[in-house]
Amino acid sequence: MELKPIIEVKNLHFSYKKHPVLAGINLELYKGEVVSLLGPNGCGKSTLIKLILKLLHGEGTILLNDKSIKKHSHKEIASLIAYIPQYNNTPFNYSVLEMVLMGRVSKLGFFALPSAHDYEIAHAALKKIGIEHLLDKAFGQLSGGQKQMVLLARAIAQEVNIFIMDEPVAGLDYGNQIRLLELIHELSKQGYTFLKTTHYPDHALLVSSRVIVMNDGKIIAAETPHKVVTKEMILDVYSINVDIITHDLHQRCVPIFQKNN
Amino acid sequence: MSKQTKYLLQGLAFLLAVAILSLLWGQYPISFATFSDYLQFKIFSSGAINAQTFSLIDNIILEIRLPRVLLAILIGSALATSGAVFQAMFVNPLVSPGILGVLAGASFGAACGMLLSENWLVVQIMAFVFGFVAVAFALFIGSMVTNSRSSVLLVLGGVISGSLFTSLLSIVKYVADPYSTLPAIVYWLMGSLSMAQLNEVFFVGTPILMSIIAMIFMSKYFDLLSLGDEEAKALGVNVTLIRIVAILLATLASSLSVVMAGIIGWVGLIIPHIVRMVVGPSHRLLIPLSAIVGAAFLLLADAISRLALSVEIPIGILTSLIGIPIFIIVLKNARAAWN
Repeated sequence: MELKPIIEVKNLHFSYKKHPVLAGINLELYKGEVVSLLGPNGCGKSTLIKLILKLLHGEGTILLNDKSIKKHSHKEIASLIAYIPQYNNTPFNYSVLEMVLMGRVSKLGFFALPSAHDYEIAHAALKKIGIEHLLDKAFGQLSGGQKQMVLLARAIAQEVNIFIMDEPVAGLDYGNQIRLLELIHELSKQGYTFLKTTHYPDHALLVSSRVIVMNDGKIIAAETPHKVVTKEMILDVYSINVDIITHDLHQRCVPIFQKNN
Repeated sequence: MSKQTKYLLQGLAFLLAVAILSLLWGQYPISFATFSDYLQFKIFSSGAINAQTFSLIDNIILEIRLPRVLLAILIGSALATSGAVFQAMFVNPLVSPGILGVLAGASFGAACGMLLSENWLVVQIMAFVFGFVAVAFALFIGSMVTNSRSSVLLVLGGVISGSLFTSLLSIVKYVADPYSTLPAIVYWLMGSLSMAQLNEVFFVGTPILMSIIAMIFMSKYFDLLSLGDEEAKALGVNVTLIRIVAILLATLASSLSVVMAGIIGWVGLIIPHIVRMVVGPSHRLLIPLSAIVGAAFLLLADAISRLALSVEIPIGILTSLIGIPIFIIVLKNARAAWN
């Protein structure tokens, strides 16, 4: 039986003020995958994510469960995909529980307020991520890593299967970066599907079932990590030299200074 | 009992206490004992009160004080709720119906309405339309300079919009009949709850009350909108629809408050800040509690305006006098609540 993609992007174009950002993107996302979008700044990774979430409008076709996203309302999209943006501060400093409860709003009627059931789900989501002790803390006072965890808990409270993350480890310290990647790995084993952008080839090797490399608004490679993250690709896209070494059966990307020796 | 329910019940108990005190305070003070005797007689038609005193108190309470108390509750909560909603909609804790120019626009609209027609409905519609024009104009000016959301520019836009409609209002005053219409307009604009009559309170109060209730039940969306449009959309919110409906409701409630009681400033700005300092920024609690606290605040301000001097101080003047020092105190702490 041939698998059907849950997200299918066909010949997608997008321009910002007549400046082309994406040119002819084709992409498929299957259930259970962890797909890393890799590429230099300004290659169109974040734009692609926003187009899939219908936060921007481009030319081409984006199918979500075989239905064009143009025909999906934001409420319908939110019942299928959770978006985990790069953390930011709101002018109003909500508590962690309130932030997680916001994931429930797409399930509620226009004039309805969250019920005891919604609170239960929010609590369960915090527990699943292992941060129920942060419940009453103010979101603005958390560390970058904790904020990402809260946004992940909110995504879980949304009760969807697909998580789209925009540079989830940006601004996190080394420990939190690795902890977050491990959490993504754990959640993917539980059946969640991930599409995430990243700046780190090494992270793409660490937690991905597939890596998509973008440059200049085009997809230049989409394959399993070890086929895509190569010396040649990194030199081509980032203009730096690396070694790909194997450690414990896993591959790692090690940068080499240009003026070495 | 959840923390939210507790806060709401405490707020309601406080409001009820202030409302009862407002029924008792006045030129003819009524004691607690007399009031409970009166209530007993009113409900059971028997008790330790004679028929003459009963009819006197009945008259004072039902004809004079109750409409005024109801009006103060209605207008205090309308202004505070719309203030909280405007702050949420523009993700800007510095705005209020007064600062966005809504009150000035509505007063210009209402004054035109009074000039053109005797019909209350015309006055109300004119107030609402120009209240909305004023906020739209403030937004237009705020967004003219830059595309990004700027707190300061929106406030500036509101100030400009407010002065435009204040100037236009001066023209209306200038052409108004100096012996009848002009004094009426001037006195009404200073703000007063004294004209309250029960049937008027119900007539204008119904749309105000309905918009307050609608804003309370939409409050979950305000949390999401304050995260920014993209995140709100990704969480499933129809951002444009919610924003338009919320701005219309907040404008309706605050414009109609102008029709009923003139320009009462500062309530819409300070009450949401005070409430946010106590219970945090979640709009699901902030909006209903602002409605309650705004009502209690205006009741107290009205009591002071009636009792402080032998003549009644216009309540709009009083809320400014009380509001300014409170805002100065609140401002520093308020910053912490919204980073």
